[in-house]
Amino acid sequence: MLSKVTSFALVGLDGVPVTAETDINNGMPSYELVGLPDAAVKESRERVRSALKNSGRKFPVTKITVNLAPADIKKEGSAFDLAIAVGILKATDQLHADCGRTVFLGELALDGALRPVAGILPLLISAKAAGYTDFVIPAGNAAEAAYIEGISVVAAADLSSVIDHLSGFKPLPPVAARAYQKGARRESKFDMAYVKGQATAKRAIEVAVSGGHNILLIGPPGTGKTMLARCLPGIMPDMTFEEALEVTKIHSVAGILGAGGIVEVRPFRSPHHTASTVSMCGGGTRTVKPGEISLAHHGVLFLDEMPEYNRSTLEALRQPLEDGVITVTRSGGAVTFPANFMLCASMNPCPCGNYGSADRVCTCTPAAIRKYRARVSGPLLDRIDIQVEVDSVKYDDLAGVALGEGSAAVKKRVERAREIQRERFGASETNSDMGEKELKAFCPLDRESEEILRLSFESLKLSARARSRIIKVARTIADMAESERIRPEHILEAVSYRKYDNMA
Amino acid sequence: MGYTKEEKAMIWLDSFPLDRAKKAAALRLAREPYALAARFAALERALAAELGEGSVAAMRASLADEGYLRGLFASYEREGIVCVTCFSPLYPEALRAAEDPPLVLYCKGDVSLLKERKFAIVGSRRTPPHILRRTERLAEGLSRAFVIVTGHADGGDSAAIAGALASGKLIVVLAFGIARIAEAENAALLQKAGERGLLVSEYLPGQTARRYTFPARNRIIAGLSDGVLVVSGGEKSGTRITAHCAYALGRDVFAFPYAAGDPLGAGCNKLIKEYAKLAEDLVDISSAFGIHLCEGEKAPLTPQEERVLACMGGEPVHISALATASGMKEAELAPVLTLLSVKKLAVSCGGNRWGKV
Repeated sequence: MLSKVTSFALVGLDGVPVTAETDINNGMPSYELVGLPDAAVKESRERVRSALKNSGRKFPVTKITVNLAPADIKKEGSAFDLAIAVGILKATDQLHADCGRTVFLGELALDGALRPVAGILPLLISAKAAGYTDFVIPAGNAAEAAYIEGISVVAAADLSSVIDHLSGFKPLPPVAARAYQKGARRESKFDMAYVKGQATAKRAIEVAVSGGHNILLIGPPGTGKTMLARCLPGIMPDMTFEEALEVTKIHSVAGILGAGGIVEVRPFRSPHHTASTVSMCGGGTRTVKPGEISLAHHGVLFLDEMPEYNRSTLEALRQPLEDGVITVTRSGGAVTFPANFMLCASMNPCPCGNYGSADRVCTCTPAAIRKYRARVSGPLLDRIDIQVEVDSVKYDDLAGVALGEGSAAVKKRVERAREIQRERFGASETNSDMGEKELKAFCPLDRESEEILRLSFESLKLSARARSRIIKVARTIADMAESERIRPEHILEAVSYRKYDNMA
Repeated sequence: MGYTKEEKAMIWLDSFPLDRAKKAAALRLAREPYALAARFAALERALAAELGEGSVAAMRASLADEGYLRGLFASYEREGIVCVTCFSPLYPEALRAAEDPPLVLYCKGDVSLLKERKFAIVGSRRTPPHILRRTERLAEGLSRAFVIVTGHADGGDSAAIAGALASGKLIVVLAFGIARIAEAENAALLQKAGERGLLVSEYLPGQTARRYTFPARNRIIAGLSDGVLVVSGGEKSGTRITAHCAYALGRDVFAFPYAAGDPLGAGCNKLIKEYAKLAEDLVDISSAFGIHLCEGEKAPLTPQEERVLACMGGEPVHISALATASGMKEAELAPVLTLLSVKKLAVSCGGNRWGKV
């Protein structure tokens, strides 16, 4: 007898329907699994056999053929286990139920329990778009399914309860829908209030977040660069549901989703400087997994000690920084992942780290400093609008009890600045996304500002490419001051954030 | 360029890689410089004893080869190099007083600068940013009355070059051959110095820099100049050699003062303790020469800028200290400080510290 059960396979961030066709024939007992399965799929035979037996069902001693259709897509992972098990039960008349358009996802344990699988959220979203409304998934994935409206999802703990549910013996309740609450998890152990001193750097960070600018923190080791960077997600505006869903999809595919079900806090990713280009941008042998830049989508990618990173890894960031997406091409096909992140990088001012220190002496020659800085390419630096110095904090400042302004207050101002930008551009564009056309339209400079900008370039030896960056940052500073026009002091403050250009 | 026969003899002699003592010995033997070539056969044995067989053989071969001198001059001309020998009217008189004055100065640029009044500004590679800016401004001011003589290194020397470049009254003394400037750490700046000012080297154009060429170069800087200003330098800095040479020649030596214990300026402070005059501005230096140079017109300042400048001393100050002293917020200070640095009155010294220029 033949049975057909639906499941879904993940291709990049999208799901494709896969039908598990099971046929039972007379003949020598055997089990054939076809349809381009990888090792994990092939091994489902052993898991399904034991799971059926330990759930009190029979694994038929006949010739079994399972075909995962369409046969030309490579099937990976363990999410087909449940569909195959249900297919065998139906084909051997152990289960009489109509599950025509129900989608089964889940990995089986040998005792019949259902284990959570990665990528449930994007699969559900794709399946819903394809018209599927009924799902059976592992209980461990219930949280992420709760946020999708208009579908009926059943979360089961083991194979027996799935069978009982399907046969109507003991129906399971559908997973209760949950509404997304914006900014529900507000508390973070990284708060601007705990960063002592560093008024200049804090201000720069606020400007950066307000206008969506990338930022480079320059300072000796142990001055709180990492702590400042950690504060970034806390002062960024809360994610909308759509944004959260997008982030959750990526994290779900990568299998790093927490128990919360949906990612509520903007991601903060800090890959180590030994990270490879593939781990940074995404890749894999046949199926493609998202990289760090995609995991940092709608959040912050923090590169600590940027010059230590592999040159080619850093260069690979240039295109996604510009486009907000990355397309990874492999023999198995091309996949596009979103990668719209804020880049926050840190570095020492010089090889010995003491340049600009008040009490320690820098022993580097100008040539050594130039060489160190040249490790970060000009084109990449060009995409970082704000460069600011973080200096060593005096003991008195650290020991002081007074807390600075908290992240919540800063966030309020950031949200106001973003609102102004939303009115200007519509959608979710920020000042940093402006092209030449928008620059002309929204950033006219009066004669005084123009003159100051010209003088700055002359005497501070800024690179010509810095010009539009400075104007964009000045636009953000003007927005923060709720000023319609860009005033000279806004230009001057923006110029002061080109530290890398005019140091030494 | 026409050379006299004495000059030609000097250029010929200098084209052999001999050290200074050997060249002097050869000249002593010849008594008349051009006699060296003219009566080479008679002098050969005595020269061989002084210079060694190998060098004499090379000299003999060059005399036999008619094209040798012509090729030499052609190659110098191609590189734009002018040879100023000790027989040339352009040869600076002051340099003759120096220890072992060079026989030939290989020059590129405006050689007439050699005849003008010269003042040397030297500094170490490791010079704090505010001192760099101060040096630049001082070099610019002094170039109104002097030709600025300096070295070719990063840091203090480069700041002096940058300051004097606009006026073109600039002599850069190299520790390597002129054809090697493209390999130098600040090749672009030296290129410009050669176009607007003058590059000078006592070494053959193809000679590379060696450890010993730097102190030897310093004696030329000191010898050329009526006075020397040391803007930075640690206790073992090469700038001290320049200062000592100048002092030995009876020239005026000046140094910028530094805070006690600052390793980047310990050499300067020590010089002041020993014999150098403390120099803070243009007047300190120019008055020693009986002339009066004053700072150019100051750009008009806003009251805010005045207030911030008043809070800054000789050493760089952290922005938070400036905020406390001036009663302004750090966010308000950033535009003011940027404008001051655009006006070249303040400079960012790293670590959010600002120095008065």
